[in-house]
Amino acid sequence: MASALRSTILRHIRVPISHSLSLNGSRLTAVRSMSSHGDDHLDKQEVVDRVLDVVKSFPKVDPSKVTPDVHFQKDLGLDSLDTVEIVMALEEEFKLEIPDKEADKIDSCPLAVEYIYNHPMAS
Amino acid sequence: MASTMKYVRVPPNSASLAEARQRVFEFFKTACRSIPSIMEIYTLDDVTSPSQLRSVISSEIRKNAHITNPKVIDMLLFKGTEELCNIVEHSKQRHHILGQYVLNREDRTHDIGNKDQGASDFLKSFYKSNY
Repeated sequence: MASALRSTILRHIRVPISHSLSLNGSRLTAVRSMSSHGDDHLDKQEVVDRVLDVVKSFPKVDPSKVTPDVHFQKDLGLDSLDTVEIVMALEEEFKLEIPDKEADKIDSCPLAVEYIYNHPMAS
Repeated sequence: MASTMKYVRVPPNSASLAEARQRVFEFFKTACRSIPSIMEIYTLDDVTSPSQLRSVISSEIRKNAHITNPKVIDMLLFKGTEELCNIVEHSKQRHHILGQYVLNREDRTHDIGNKDQGASDFLKSFYKSNY
């Protein structure tokens, strides 16, 4: 969304050439100031809201018990298969693919929010 | 994609219940990740949603959750993988998917998780027979 806005603005203004491209041997990462790859980072509150929505819409969950620090198995009374199902629902919502090792660690809302927030490809 | 159907072969040698359990979760994840393509192949967008299909898959897995023998679990995983492969390869047709997985889920006489605990024994055996 921000990238579409940026491209429409850029079409109408003249932007000076940025001098920040530096390709030394030690630091091969060019600073792409025109690239919109970095600003797709989600807002933390948005991540929290979306994660809570996913958890609340899970059929076995009582929506009134869902808070941002709820534990799936201890507080919501789900079992391990339900936890995996919630992780899969989160994968679908944020268009991610979470590897097994990381997915096994996600068993509560705050961990899920933290993982998704720190994931560069979340959208 | 990490969970494609290509190398889903269940070698029949789960060493322990824990390993079989891990395999079950991997199977479940593979199935969930193929849900978008299943919905596209059989055009299920009007009839159901990915989260309902996920619930259906998890309830099918849960039907056998009481089994403790790793070899039996391997056999069930093999059958589940075979079914999933058939579905993904379009060997089945839309009415198979609808009848087996989408429609009439409430009429089945399996336990729906933690619900139905208040029902009396008469009701629970009502569908089986009247005696």
